[in-house]
Amino acid sequence: MVLLRKPCLRLSGAVILLTMLAGCVTNPSRDGFEPDGEAAGSTVIAPRRGTSAAVLDLLERARAASRRGELHKAEALLERAIRIEPKNPVLWHYMAKVHLHRGRARRAAGLAARSNSLAGDDATLRADNWRIIAHARQAMGDPAGARAAQARAAQLAGDR
Amino acid sequence: MARKVTRKTRRKSGGRQSSPRRKSTARRRHARGDGGRLRRWFRQVPWKRLFAGLAVLLVLYVGYLDYRIRSQFEGKRWALPAHVYARPLELREDLALPAARFERELELLGYRLAYDTREPGTYNRQHRRFRLHTRGFAFWDDNEPARQVEVRFHDGRVDALIDMETQRVLSLLRLDPMYIGGIYPDQHEDRLLIRLDEAPEVLVRGLIAVEDRRFYEHWGVNPGAIARALWANLRAGATVQGGSTLTQQLVKNFFLSNARTLWRKGNEAIMAVLLEMHYDKDEILEAYLNEVYLGQQGKRAIHGFGLAARFYFDRPLAQLDNAELATLIALVQGPALYDPRRHPQRLRKRRDLVLNILAEQGVLSRAAAREAMAQNLSVVRRPSRGITPYPAFMDMVRRQLRQSYAKRDLTSEGLRIFTTLDPLVQSDVEDALRRQLRRLDGARGLGGKLEGAALVTSTTGGELLAAVGGREVRFAGFNRALDARRQVGSLVKPVVYLTALMERPGTTLVSPVSDTPIRIQGPNGDIWSPQNYNKVSHGVVPLYVALTRSYNQATVRLGMQVGVDRVVAMLRRLGLPREVPAYPALLLGSQTLSPLEVTQIYQTFAAEGFRSPVTAIREVLTAEGEPLQRYPLDVAPAVDPLQVRILNSALREVMRHGTGANAVNWFPDAAGFAGKTGTTNDLRDSWFAGFGREHLMVVWLGADDNRSIGLTGASGALAVWSDAMARMGSPPLDPLGGEQLVLRWVEPVSGRRVGASCPEAAQLAFLPGTEPQEAGRCPSREDADWSERAMDWLRGLLD
Repeated sequence: MVLLRKPCLRLSGAVILLTMLAGCVTNPSRDGFEPDGEAAGSTVIAPRRGTSAAVLDLLERARAASRRGELHKAEALLERAIRIEPKNPVLWHYMAKVHLHRGRARRAAGLAARSNSLAGDDATLRADNWRIIAHARQAMGDPAGARAAQARAAQLAGDR
Repeated sequence: MARKVTRKTRRKSGGRQSSPRRKSTARRRHARGDGGRLRRWFRQVPWKRLFAGLAVLLVLYVGYLDYRIRSQFEGKRWALPAHVYARPLELREDLALPAARFERELELLGYRLAYDTREPGTYNRQHRRFRLHTRGFAFWDDNEPARQVEVRFHDGRVDALIDMETQRVLSLLRLDPMYIGGIYPDQHEDRLLIRLDEAPEVLVRGLIAVEDRRFYEHWGVNPGAIARALWANLRAGATVQGGSTLTQQLVKNFFLSNARTLWRKGNEAIMAVLLEMHYDKDEILEAYLNEVYLGQQGKRAIHGFGLAARFYFDRPLAQLDNAELATLIALVQGPALYDPRRHPQRLRKRRDLVLNILAEQGVLSRAAAREAMAQNLSVVRRPSRGITPYPAFMDMVRRQLRQSYAKRDLTSEGLRIFTTLDPLVQSDVEDALRRQLRRLDGARGLGGKLEGAALVTSTTGGELLAAVGGREVRFAGFNRALDARRQVGSLVKPVVYLTALMERPGTTLVSPVSDTPIRIQGPNGDIWSPQNYNKVSHGVVPLYVALTRSYNQATVRLGMQVGVDRVVAMLRRLGLPREVPAYPALLLGSQTLSPLEVTQIYQTFAAEGFRSPVTAIREVLTAEGEPLQRYPLDVAPAVDPLQVRILNSALREVMRHGTGANAVNWFPDAAGFAGKTGTTNDLRDSWFAGFGREHLMVVWLGADDNRSIGLTGASGALAVWSDAMARMGSPPLDPLGGEQLVLRWVEPVSGRRVGASCPEAAQLAFLPGTEPQEAGRCPSREDADWSERAMDWLRGLLD
């Protein structure tokens, strides 16, 4: 019996999802406020080592769905992933991105904060979450809060 | 309305055309001789007009019948209730799921044990190795095909998941979700509507073989069958055989009237033909399956095979075996005549006759028919009263849906609702509640008055996994889980302590607090001086000891220092959905809350400061399977996560040395959980709320008439909680993590640092820089004496 596994392929697929979702974070916004994007050192967050095959599979499907523009499906698939690994901060981070992309700023900020509460000392991830929060606050009409969040992101990115 | 109009028309057309003529003919009859008169009269009758008139009448009448039968048919056909499903079980490697639990899920889904698994919906098991043929399910986000898989278990976990066809490891496999009920209009008779393609083949083919063999050939009536029946009845001198087709029977069921008149028979025949003109055979058959009258329970008529399966066998139709399906077919002839609870012998004879016909007609093999005939009727003695086995959960689903949907859409649009119910957790909670209520009720001599309610949510997103609304878990009566508002007692204390931790700078879990008599003057001069539960004051104690051992005087003192209004504000932040008055007595839980509201508040503790609304629904789809609405994961930061983690470290201590310590009697892992007991004055309410890594469960016990039940939170609700959590195999919390916090072992007398080996020591979390520096000594027996006494006394409350 030959049992085939392809975790590497899955991992690469998941990274593509992130690249796509990352786009929404690096879009410059209106009102003169411009959260820093790729230029300022934003990195695509990759799934953590030890992420289960089931979750990687779901991430790959989520990527395929978001590539087709079916963000509601990507959202449902990410939810399934979170049910499997609720303490995995990267999954919450992806979910925050999907919600931000779908224009749900309040939810995106909540999910990014949840990701941060699980992120431990992962400064890269926390910086990216703060960028999401900055965008979300801006969208909710809180430019001061957005600037503060952006400052947190910059500080964490600097700490790295 | 239609009937009136038609009658009026009939009178008009008849009157205008024939009345004047009749008068003139009568006059002439007098004037002439008899023979010629008749001939002349005959010639003068306006036959053409008369026929035309009759034809118009007939057309109008048939049109009227057509209107009636079509509106009946359409009305029933389109009133599609919402279909409600449980969560699908998602299998994956390393999933914590013992083999026995997996098999229970398969049984709930109606998978059949079979030697080979060629058919979808079958499985077999060899020890820890299952082979199953999944049914497949078109989920909206992804299609899950039917496939043959092997699932291996090891050490309470899924060890391997292999697609038999490709011999590849599957990373994920979703089973089909369990159907848990429909949402029906209240005033309507209840139905469990089924689709033709969901109906068991033996039932459909059997019905045709027994009731109407030429169903697919005739056009509504079967003259041959009628002639045969007439002949048989004439020979017997009584009605012994019916010649009605299934279509005629359907018409008869639409207008239930038992008058056996020729006029009615004629109408039925015409309507049957009309039905056949408008609808195809399968539509008629499907309507028949859902409409046929199959029994009576008081005023409640049992229509349709879906409901009859529940009513007689307490199982979904898809799960019935051949003997049971034959029993249902047998009942079509006369549910009263063959009432299985009154005339079991008569019914059994008829069932065996049906089985013989099925074998003759090739619906069943001879062997299968023989096997079925050897079976007892197996009708459940007491029919379930509802149409869903999970009335309390369905109630929650219905309420949540009503926030966004009109009642009519829910009961007629055929929406498909995917919920969060975990049937395995639900049955664990039901079993635990039943068992413990029986035990406690007996021990306290409450004569069956002890009631209870319980809710389980996922700590991650507040998904409601199980809900029980009373000790009669199948009974859709008063839903205590949602509607019983009772005083919460000490369940409120963690909110008081969290408020203090957050709003009084420098407060830590070892800050000294005085548990001594306290007097509070109300606005009208009343003095309130709360007592401790055992009437003993404990002097100055570390904050966490006052919480974990639930000291009233210390709590009130602390609460008054931070302000009752601040505690109320905290309740709101944590998720209480309504305003409550800020009286000092609130600090000891005089406020009434429902188990659902308590769950909402504790959900925020379990999710470390993130608030998620408790939800029972994941998504709503249209009848065509298009997503209509999702209820996405919703987490909002409510309280500083660090402070909640600090509080939770004390709530863990409740389970180790505090009022929850006896949970280990039922549940060995309980010490790894966090929770709080609640007891109210005169022992009227017994509460427990506790959570681990995956599940939060809230239990309330009490009597509906608010009498004393003689139970504390620890002696009542805690037993239900631990029993259920043990059955679920719920995982404990992860070891206390030190991220951004400092962990210290402390002793309970003065809150100083001690070694982890000290038996009385508690591991608590502190903000960096606030942790206790001074080393203390592990309390000796004498030092610990007072707490030991308290614990002995608490243990004594447990049976």
